[in-house]
Amino acid sequence: METMLNAFLAPLGETYFQKALIGGSIVAIVSAVVGCLVVLRRMAFLGDALSHAMIAGVAGGYLVMKLLFGYEAHAPGMLLGSLLSAIITVALIGFVSKVSRVKEDTAIGIMYTGVFALGVVVVSIFRHYIHIDLMHFIMGDVLGVADADLWTSAFVAATVLSIIILFFRHFQITTFDPVMAASIGLPVLLIDYLLTTCVSLVVVSAVSMVGVILVVGLLITPAATAYLLSDRLDRMMLLSAFFGFTSVVGGLYLCVWLDSAGGGAIMLFCTLQFLVVLIFAPRYGMLSRWLRLRRMVPQQVIEDVLTTVLRYEKATPKAIISKYVDEGSRLSKVLKQMVEDSLLKEEGSSYLLTENGEKEAKQVLRAHRLWEAYLESIGAPEQDWHTTAHHLEHMREEETVDYLSEVLGKPKQDPHGQKIPGKTNDE
Amino acid sequence: MTTNNIAVEVRNLTVSYHSKPALLDVSVAIEKDKLVGVIGPNGAGKSTFIKAILGFVRPDVGQVMIKGQDVQNAKGQVAYVPQRGAVDWDFPITVKEVALMGRYQRIPWYRNPNKSDREAAMEALSMVRMSEFADRQIGQLSGGQQQRVFLARALAQGSDILLLDEPFAGVDAATERAILDVLERAKAAGKTLVVVHHDLVTAAEYFDKLILIKQRMFAYGPPSAVLREDLLSEVYEGKLRIFAEVLKKESV
Repeated sequence: METMLNAFLAPLGETYFQKALIGGSIVAIVSAVVGCLVVLRRMAFLGDALSHAMIAGVAGGYLVMKLLFGYEAHAPGMLLGSLLSAIITVALIGFVSKVSRVKEDTAIGIMYTGVFALGVVVVSIFRHYIHIDLMHFIMGDVLGVADADLWTSAFVAATVLSIIILFFRHFQITTFDPVMAASIGLPVLLIDYLLTTCVSLVVVSAVSMVGVILVVGLLITPAATAYLLSDRLDRMMLLSAFFGFTSVVGGLYLCVWLDSAGGGAIMLFCTLQFLVVLIFAPRYGMLSRWLRLRRMVPQQVIEDVLTTVLRYEKATPKAIISKYVDEGSRLSKVLKQMVEDSLLKEEGSSYLLTENGEKEAKQVLRAHRLWEAYLESIGAPEQDWHTTAHHLEHMREEETVDYLSEVLGKPKQDPHGQKIPGKTNDE
Repeated sequence: MTTNNIAVEVRNLTVSYHSKPALLDVSVAIEKDKLVGVIGPNGAGKSTFIKAILGFVRPDVGQVMIKGQDVQNAKGQVAYVPQRGAVDWDFPITVKEVALMGRYQRIPWYRNPNKSDREAAMEALSMVRMSEFADRQIGQLSGGQQQRVFLARALAQGSDILLLDEPFAGVDAATERAILDVLERAKAAGKTLVVVHHDLVTAAEYFDKLILIKQRMFAYGPPSAVLREDLLSEVYEGKLRIFAEVLKKESV
């Protein structure tokens, strides 16, 4: 018990852990909130593109600040550079897909790898001037968060969250129905650019923690997790922020306990969270879907019970029903539901048809007997009539049954000489 | 006919894409309180016509006036109901929230929707008999219910002019009736409805007036004047067999 508690408390005393926790949470929360819009607008690939494109901007910002002003690794300069390169990349993507037949997904692929490559080449050419560790850039280093990074991400988070909260309705409507948004005079394009800028800002500040490769996960995975749990955008954003936060907390502990890479542990925890929700989500989860399918009583079984009770002509004990309707242990549930749906009445341990149930039952019987008559008319062997009709009787939309009746000359009796119930109950 | 009787006026409108006219010299004056159908074959410029009324296209020549005002100064005066296929039905949004969107154009950016906005949204929902579904996510509704929610949003906008893009596409006959019923009640409440429609067979029955376009304006008037064999065969070349049936139905 003591060691358990200690496993949780000990890392909290370490400065590097505290910084990672604070920095990571800030970044994760704001990415998760913006990520909701990214997920709903199907821009996930764009997040990936932005993160790759920024290396060129980081290198550019570094170079300019160093060569012109003599600052070494000037953080705001690099931030501005990455933002610029992100925006240029987005503009290039839009340009290529507009002027050529190349579609947007391909344009994204071309431009982000191109700009990323440019960044890598620049960094390696100027390796004597700029000290950027490419591995750090690609993998991130959440455990080595510098104070400057912490401040930058806090500033970015505050800005982006304020924008999202202030313009929540604008983002909601332009995402959901851009045509209507334009029709009421909202500047849709401007709002799109504003969102892209927010995504770029978030991505840029998150890269130093989890790296280029994982940042898109931080953007979309918590949002997708929340998407499975909520039916309102504001709640989705809150939940998403929560999942972003728990990913960082869970991931950091994982990383300390397993002595693994920080960014990797965070994203792994985040993905596991998603998988758990995917399985257990109350409405959109796999388990509930499976249960719903299982719980659904097939219409055929209901119809079989109805005709059994109708043919028995008096209160029918469950034992009799189960002889004709082979449903095993599920029968009790079926009967219970039919009582709830007021198709059956319970009388002691026997069942009677309600008025509604009788109407339904007669229509099934009508279909059954018409199908039998039809089978006779096409020359099917007599011993098959009943079993085949028993299967066919569930095909009983009005048009089908009317057609049968018509084509058979509106018979009053089936081949066994039994009365075929009319379309309405009084016939 | 005085101008204040006119809801939407299109004057000599020509819109082109890459030097090909999508609309050519289209002029029409749609009167208030009418249920008007817009018909024409695929690629006839129906969607450009919608965009023009919403003020989304830059005309090469001509003007679109909404209640006597240039369309560019009349943003929000025409409420748009999208095609069912154009909506993301998995979007995390409830029926109530969609209806509330109709009020967004009146809410300044710095304040939240207030009680009267919410009441207006609920009132619009009750007009289309969807109040009891207010808290449902929109994907959990049937096709007809979904269409009604978007109608409620248009009603909540408070515009007198509603523009509907194929509201009857992909719904069954009973649903079609239910939607038509709502449209007629909106008309009775003093709305002008412009509806893009693809089914010639029902066009005569549903609408007060029809607009027949294929790039240029072929006819505007009551169905009997528009659904004429000569006009239809000119617009829908080579599909005469269908018209023969339509026209036969008409004359009955």
